Amino acid sequence: MPTSTRRGNGSVAEPVARSPIAPAGPTGTRGAWEVSSAHSKAALRLADMTALSKVLVRGAPGEVAPLLCEHLRARREDGSLIVGTGPDSWLVLAPTGRSDAVSEMIASRLRGCTSLVTVIDVTHGSVVLRLSGESARRALEKVCAIDLSDRATPNGSSFRSRVAAVVSTVVRDDVDGDPSYLIVSDRSSGQFLFDALADAGQEFGIGLTGYPEQEI
Amino acid sequence: MIRIGGRVVAGPTRRIGPQPGEVIDRSRSLTFYWNGASRAAYDGDTISSALAAAGDRVLSRSFKYHRPRGILTATFHDPGCLVQVDDEPNVRASHRQVAAGMDVRALHSWPSLRFDVGAANQAVGPFLSAGFYYKTFIKPQRLWPAYERVLQRFAAGGRVSASSPHGDYDKRFAHPDVLVAGGGPAGMAAAIAAAEAGAEVMLVEEEHELGGHLRYGDEVALSRLQELRAAVAAHEQIEVLTNSAVTGRYDDNWVAVLQRSMPHVTERLVKARAKSVVVAVGLIERPYVFEGNDLPGVMLSSAVSRLVNLYAVRPGERAVVFTGNQSGEAAAAALERAGAEVAAVVDARRGGALLRARGRGGVTEVETGDGARVECDLLVTAAGWTAPTLLVNMTGVKPRYCDRAARFVPGDDLPSDVFATGGLVGDGDVDLLVEHGRATGLRAARRALETLDGHGPLTALPRLEPADHPALFRSRTHGFVDLSEDVSSKDLVSAAQEGYDSVELVKRYTTATMGPSQGKLETINTVAVLAESTGRTVAETGTTVWRPPHVPISLGALAGRNLEPVRYSPMQPWHEAVRARPIVAGQWIRPEHYGDPASEVRNVRENVGLIDVTPLGKLDLRGPDVPRLLNFLYVNKWSKLDIGSVRYGVMCGEDGVVADDGVTGHLGPDHYFMSTTSSGASAIYEWIENWLQTTFTDWSVHVTEMTSAFASINVAGPNSRELLRRLVDDVDLGPDAFKYMQVRQGTIAGVANCLMWRIGFTGELSYEVHVPAAFGLYVWEALMAAGADLGVGPFGLEAQRIMRLEKGHFIVGQDTDGLTQAFTAGLDWLVKLDKEDFAGRPELVWQSERSDELRLVGLQPTDPTVVPPEASQIVSGANEIEGRVTSSRFSPTLGRSICLGIVSADLAHAGTVVTVKQPDGTRVTARVMEEHAHFDPAGERLRG
Repeated sequence: MPTSTRRGNGSVAEPVARSPIAPAGPTGTRGAWEVSSAHSKAALRLADMTALSKVLVRGAPGEVAPLLCEHLRARREDGSLIVGTGPDSWLVLAPTGRSDAVSEMIASRLRGCTSLVTVIDVTHGSVVLRLSGESARRALEKVCAIDLSDRATPNGSSFRSRVAAVVSTVVRDDVDGDPSYLIVSDRSSGQFLFDALADAGQEFGIGLTGYPEQEI
Repeated sequence: MIRIGGRVVAGPTRRIGPQPGEVIDRSRSLTFYWNGASRAAYDGDTISSALAAAGDRVLSRSFKYHRPRGILTATFHDPGCLVQVDDEPNVRASHRQVAAGMDVRALHSWPSLRFDVGAANQAVGPFLSAGFYYKTFIKPQRLWPAYERVLQRFAAGGRVSASSPHGDYDKRFAHPDVLVAGGGPAGMAAAIAAAEAGAEVMLVEEEHELGGHLRYGDEVALSRLQELRAAVAAHEQIEVLTNSAVTGRYDDNWVAVLQRSMPHVTERLVKARAKSVVVAVGLIERPYVFEGNDLPGVMLSSAVSRLVNLYAVRPGERAVVFTGNQSGEAAAAALERAGAEVAAVVDARRGGALLRARGRGGVTEVETGDGARVECDLLVTAAGWTAPTLLVNMTGVKPRYCDRAARFVPGDDLPSDVFATGGLVGDGDVDLLVEHGRATGLRAARRALETLDGHGPLTALPRLEPADHPALFRSRTHGFVDLSEDVSSKDLVSAAQEGYDSVELVKRYTTATMGPSQGKLETINTVAVLAESTGRTVAETGTTVWRPPHVPISLGALAGRNLEPVRYSPMQPWHEAVRARPIVAGQWIRPEHYGDPASEVRNVRENVGLIDVTPLGKLDLRGPDVPRLLNFLYVNKWSKLDIGSVRYGVMCGEDGVVADDGVTGHLGPDHYFMSTTSSGASAIYEWIENWLQTTFTDWSVHVTEMTSAFASINVAGPNSRELLRRLVDDVDLGPDAFKYMQVRQGTIAGVANCLMWRIGFTGELSYEVHVPAAFGLYVWEALMAAGADLGVGPFGLEAQRIMRLEKGHFIVGQDTDGLTQAFTAGLDWLVKLDKEDFAGRPELVWQSERSDELRLVGLQPTDPTVVPPEASQIVSGANEIEGRVTSSRFSPTLGRSICLGIVSADLAHAGTVVTVKQPDGTRVTARVMEEHAHFDPAGERLRG
């Protein structure tokens, strides 16, 4: 039976946060989160980034977009990634444990908005996967119907569609020139989605890799 | 041994010396099995080329008459070359490459290919003409099942074992700028030009390698082939898919491509959305119709060229060549090079004619138009070409018949994003085909990239037209038109005489063009024979409508991977570890029970139990207009709900039918939290967004879907308060501080930001806790550990269903259906018609004014040991249906059966005894109860 309470001297240790995806290989911790510490050097890699902080922002497009990000785009700012996930919604991805700080920062920035603004921590509601490598596009094309060419989906763009039949937000977020996609989906289907992407990447020799030092 | 008219003319092998364009690898020999006997082959051989090299002429028995058949086209479309390979039926032997150890067997033959009992059909052939089955087995209709059983034994096709391993298939999406269908010289040139213009190109070729007819051409052709292949390979922007077929072109250039023989999957369906499509599928050589045209040894000229030049196989020893074009001459030259004797060349352009071929099990003699008889084992026909215009015609463009060339051409006015090039358009030498291909590819790229200039001036499209060709369709004798379906020209003439005189009717009546070749070999001859029979021209007769698929496609490829998402709660590892019995609930996989639902019920009633209710829909509602929204969505009132309180509500559709129920809590200023049913979560979220985005666009409300963000656990039972108290420090759980129908936010087992609701579906003192999902497993385990001495245990959906039924709580969708309006569900106490408006109000006002409605009632079976199955009917004395049992269980708490049911209004009064007709026909009685609840109707336990 799995145990998440670390019992020492009969006492219950700190709570453990878990991704819905069974960790690949050895595990370590990042803040309260149990994360995979596996390291893959494969040309195509899949990582579970669910431990990232996630903050959802809702507001009027005309007021919020200029202060955060345009719809269908993603923008880096102070170690976080702001994604325009819908005409009136934004998702901010930040390192583990930063959701309160990010929420305060966003709320502060949007304080002058006249229409309703909602800033809400959705860290626990989603999984985040990162698919990286030269064949990332080819692998993702097997389970996503959107045009992923550089022309249609350049670095820094985002869209919402179905990935392996799971509603997802996809962000093209290249790392050091290496094609990379962040895929954000409902937490409950996380393992299914992870398995589907790993399956899609098999023909490209996909490797399962752990939570990176450079989180976002 | 190979014999011609009784003479032995060759040894057992027909493999000849190395050929310049051969695709076999002579350094890699392998062995496979043909009907149980071993055969030698080289890597690169197709099944049929290897069999031809071994001297095997008969590769199958035909579909209807079980006539011996052999190689005709040496292509994918070869109608007589369908075989069984291992466990795979209907494999194209002239396309599938041989692999070591393959077990290849002939289809349609029993007990053997050589002696086939079914060949007796030939003797009764005149009675098996078109429409035979329709005419013979239509009456008496009652005997059809018997007919069907017998006829199934004669059904065509191979065998699939029930134990066959499931093939591995997948799909892929692609968005090429330009998709080129066909990798011959024009197709390759188009791809190169498009890539040079900056387009991403997908080049699809049916054969195992690029090249088209250049592959089996002369040295000049082979030289050009190498140049073009090198140029294609040099372009990173060209993705080449060989052994793949474009199966259809749909609106906006949605193109389906079937990709075969990849290392990791059997087949893959590529769904390509191309900005431009270039159709460069070349030409298909068509058979000639004459008596004996299906005998093994009758081959198309291109088949001969393929066998000699690609596979180094001499297809016969002594040949007669009937030709109307240069392809026949090329075949004759190839045969002589291969060491065969060309006994006669009958040139149709000079008046030569072919009457019939004779032989048993293969050609042994040919009779020409001048009455001459020539002994031979090979008859080569070069009767002309068919332009496979299907992909172009799928755009809606009708093919046009070119009389002087005796073939259909794609037609005019193609859509601006579809282009045609190569042999499909016209005849020319390699230079002309390449030039036309390049010019077409450049145009396709410009259309795709929406660039009107750049990349140099647009060169003129070279003139490419079909060459003149004699109209060679049928000889003076009759023969087979459709070798896949065994349809002869006589069948077509008969059909026309019976009144089936349009090409569409003839097709359906005779099944001509409906076999595995899908009309590529047969259509033009079918049209020509029909035209001849009806006195019309070929152009007047026209073709059938082309529809996808262009080539047959396997169901496995269409299905691809099974991508049906499943959802799990954070506690799933725990459930699996204790071997909970899973149940599929929509997409969710949930624990139905942990071994004994009745024990789980008793434990909750006596101690404390935990149930994982994570799938409950959860919506975070924020904004000043949330109360207005709640008032509109629910049938009850929501204006006054104190912070810290929760309220039960029911939602109805605009038809007044119960749509969902749940509890909503007031967490803070302008902040509410709604729960919905598990099955209704997504629909209710969309329902709310729909109202906000279309009707109440000026309301300030944000709704956020939070179902998966919280792990939800119901802690239920008399010890639940004590259990929670052990893990919660920052919330006063005392009965006066935290009352029934209240909500608190706090920390559980060190996990902050948890919601605790004092509500319960089970009727016990209970707390529904919502924990940040990543900590769900941790908190679950902490509760289990902390409550060991309190008797804590898990309970599943089944125990919950029993307990809610004991309490008389209905389940939306179980005790209600798509017609159950609120008053039928017994919600009189909840519906507030004095509200100004809410979803479903007009309908419910009307329902309240009626008195003849069905009612949901509690039912107590007279015999407490009988549990009428759910959906049992409630019937009147006259056996008319008066209602149904919607829920039923045996209550471990009460020791008797309990039910909910919907009955007509006149039976709904307490004390009425109704008759329940069970599915097995037996009848039992049940009493209508005063209320829905069977247990603790006053609710003392949950308020305790």
